[in-house]
Amino acid sequence: MGSRIAAVAAATVLVLGTTAACGSGGGSSDSGSGTIHVLVYGDAANKVEKQLVETFNKTSKVKVVLDTIPGADYQQKLQTVINTSRAPDVFFNWGGGSIQPFVKAGLLLPLDDFIAKDPGLKDNFLPAVFNSAVVDGKPYGVPMRGTQPVLLFHNKQVLADAGLTPPKTWDELVAATKALKAKGITPIALGGGDQWPTLMWFEYLYDRIAGPELFQRALNGDKAAWASEDSRKALSTLKELVDAGAFGSNFDSVKFTDGGSPALVAKGKAAFELMGSWYYSTQQDANPDFAKSGLGYTGFPSVGGGKGDPAAVVGNTNNFYSVLKKTKYPEAAAAFLKLMYSDDFVKAQLAIGNLPTTTSTANFLDLSASPAYSKAQYELVKAAPSFQLSWDQAYPPSAMTPMHTAVQQFFDGRIDTDGFIKAMSALPTS
Amino acid sequence: MRRRPNFLAGFGSLVWLALIGLPLYVLLIATFRTRSDYSTEGPLSPPAQWTLQNYLDDFSNGFGQDFLNTLTVTAGVVAIVLLVVPPLAYAIVRARGRATGWIFRLFLLGLAIPAQAVIVPMFYVMNQTGLYDHLIGIVLPTAAFCLPVCTLVLTGAMRDISPELYEAMAMDGASPARVFRQLVIPLSKGGLSSITVFAALQAWNGFLFPLILTQSDSTKVITLGLYDFQTEHGVDVPALLSAVVLSMLPILVVYLFARRALVQGLTGVGGK
Amino acid sequence: MTRPARPAAAATRPGFVWALPAAVFFLLFAFVPLALVAVLSFTSWDGIGEPHFNGLDNWTSLFDDPVMLQSVWTTLLLTALGVAVQTPVSILIGVWAAGHQRNRAVLSAIYFVPLLLSATAVSVVWRAVLDPNFGVPAQLTWLFGDGNLLGTKGGAIAVLTFVGVWQYTPLHALLYQGGARAIPQVLYQAAAIDGAGRVRQFFHITLPQLRNTVITSVILMVVGGLTTFDTVLILTQGGPGTDTTVTAYYMYQKAFKGFEFGPGSAVALVLVVVATLISLVLVRLSGYDRMRGTTEGM
Repeated sequence: MGSRIAAVAAATVLVLGTTAACGSGGGSSDSGSGTIHVLVYGDAANKVEKQLVETFNKTSKVKVVLDTIPGADYQQKLQTVINTSRAPDVFFNWGGGSIQPFVKAGLLLPLDDFIAKDPGLKDNFLPAVFNSAVVDGKPYGVPMRGTQPVLLFHNKQVLADAGLTPPKTWDELVAATKALKAKGITPIALGGGDQWPTLMWFEYLYDRIAGPELFQRALNGDKAAWASEDSRKALSTLKELVDAGAFGSNFDSVKFTDGGSPALVAKGKAAFELMGSWYYSTQQDANPDFAKSGLGYTGFPSVGGGKGDPAAVVGNTNNFYSVLKKTKYPEAAAAFLKLMYSDDFVKAQLAIGNLPTTTSTANFLDLSASPAYSKAQYELVKAAPSFQLSWDQAYPPSAMTPMHTAVQQFFDGRIDTDGFIKAMSALPTS
Repeated sequence: MRRRPNFLAGFGSLVWLALIGLPLYVLLIATFRTRSDYSTEGPLSPPAQWTLQNYLDDFSNGFGQDFLNTLTVTAGVVAIVLLVVPPLAYAIVRARGRATGWIFRLFLLGLAIPAQAVIVPMFYVMNQTGLYDHLIGIVLPTAAFCLPVCTLVLTGAMRDISPELYEAMAMDGASPARVFRQLVIPLSKGGLSSITVFAALQAWNGFLFPLILTQSDSTKVITLGLYDFQTEHGVDVPALLSAVVLSMLPILVVYLFARRALVQGLTGVGGK
Repeated sequence: MTRPARPAAAATRPGFVWALPAAVFFLLFAFVPLALVAVLSFTSWDGIGEPHFNGLDNWTSLFDDPVMLQSVWTTLLLTALGVAVQTPVSILIGVWAAGHQRNRAVLSAIYFVPLLLSATAVSVVWRAVLDPNFGVPAQLTWLFGDGNLLGTKGGAIAVLTFVGVWQYTPLHALLYQGGARAIPQVLYQAAAIDGAGRVRQFFHITLPQLRNTVITSVILMVVGGLTTFDTVLILTQGGPGTDTTVTAYYMYQKAFKGFEFGPGSAVALVLVVVATLISLVLVRLSGYDRMRGTTEGM
């Protein structure tokens, strides 16, 4: 019996030995055979990225390896790996504030040289978008995926059954929620468990009622902004909607990221959902038939008496690829980035409902999965006088958890207007 | 002695059976259903149509790789534990010096250190040493945190070896190494199988170290795979739950064929 | 143990070197990081650059932080609830399963299935089962109402407690089963002759005889309860709000979500201090430090 255990022990030692060999071997062979790692946010859009990487690898000597991290964990994983030996060569980000700490730490490669060799890396993108990844006068990101305004989506069938049309004003939205509630349908689906979907409601109401300046002031360190009259008005308007049961009562047990809230809308258990424009590809991936024929969308309703322009949008300006300074294959990275303005890329993004921000986008809108959706989005963004970046992207990362907590607690009635103002005023701003 | 049946206990046991059985029923039945069947008919309804597609999907989603990684980590942890714990336990039971007493106390104290408490510096150290995102980086801390319990269990087992046996061997002039090989190891095989199972379970079910110390698909272990899948596709319950079922299969096999060792490994501190 | 009379016997005893590999390994991977966490708690580090010392900043802000104190209470509350619910249930099941009847053996085999699942798997299963729209609550509305279990404080705490009970009761029941089987039958026979009924036998023989098992089991529950993390991460993410933010999760949130590794380390240290204090008390009470083999159990 003893010898049997010894044999097991010996066998396991052997396995361990090979593991260690594999483990370290894996790391070094990666760089030896010439690969660059591209880290992206894991969601339905990954299939386009996978396809793109396959195309790239067919011709390139240096191969691209695509690493995806589930969306809910993307940002935290990115920051934990970015200064390690396993940092990616190229990574997905939201431009602006999201890469600022990395630029400050000297980790990112300014793309001037790439652009000098291939001006198309700059000129083929809409300038306003390209410039939002310029930090301290240097470009650090090439736009990828697309612009992501937040839209109010709805289930066409559910609205029709209730005799409703998509709301253009806040009052119409409130009236619609009452009618839906009377029919036993949750008026608005909300993935409150994720917290950031709840935040979108604040972003839009503040923008509509106070205009984009209030948030900018708060972000610049003026804590009094949160206590202003407009801020209180936005909060009370929102509170009324919540108290009227517009979101049902169990929204904090539902998530968007795991597909919960989109399923509610697709199955007709809820009528509306406020979400970024990637919602189309989410639905297309999970409920293709619904995405094709049942999914409706509008901009956020106007709010009577508000200072903000009803055409303004909030959301993520765009996604970007940035390159790390320590990449061994900058040429390969540059070649990969060129694909971001290729016709194939634009077509593939449009096919899943994303709206790329290349100058060529308008030419291909008809090829989109839903040309009407792409055009509406395109017009919306083009006409918008301002594009408010998501609050949690605009603030430094350490503000995210307290901000999300405050937003959630306000919705479930654990803190009142004063409590919310206090929590937001306490956020770190620099 | 004849006893009348205990109705109260019978009723209680059925209530508990429902509490345990209902989720297990949902778990098992969901894995054979299609996604749309599950979300429209609800979790309690039987499959409209049986399918094995969910299990196949798991493998195309990389479950095989996760499984191999977990197996490697488990083997590594068990190897380390079996290499260092038996000599340690032997020394604690038989050595005379004050130093071994202190070492034993060190491990008792270590029993109180939660893995969460050291995860930040562990992350820092793995970063600095380049072990971040390598399986060995999970193996080392996982093994270390198995040591206190394994030491307790094995010293318990070795204390039961009767002193006469040691003395008999001492008369023959046997060296400590020979005593260890010919007496201690053979007579503490129960304890050894307990710590093997304990260490293997810790490694197989470990979550925190993989969560913080790895990132790539190539180093993903099963628990992390489940977590990632739940975070991203939580609504695809059938695929998720079939991965859960696959993750428990190896332990089920141990449960069926080596129930005693599993139970002793599970109960760790209490049994021996 | 008496000192051996002959020097030859002393020579066969292993030296200190035998303990060295394990000790060095353990120091390296448990105590050195513990020292490092103490150092890091006096620094500011965002995970990108290098840590910088910032004196007592982290600690002073920690003591002003209402969530920190709340997290300690939540941890203690969940631990206490776990012990309070699991102990009676697992004693009853363990003693019941100790009987050698065939039906009990069959049912026990089902009872112990949760043991085969990792905490991660258990949490993932329950998250799916309890989904308000596509889980069991949607089908059993008479029982669950709107299914907002994880959206309220009471509901979230109840779910965490219940999932803990579901997962760990089988383990503790196993301990009690072993303990109950080790109780000499003579005791029961004598009591039966005195006319003691089943209930009296349970309270006067079974429970007192299980004393040591209770200690072991409670220690395991407390240590497990204080370090609950997987379940919280997967089921509630500390929510709603901060209602189920236990200390271990708060540390994770600070360090790996807010990238404030300094304050995160300070929280970790609080966790160590609390866990060590409680463990020391329990170890003292139980007599594990008296270095003897336990004779109860399997």
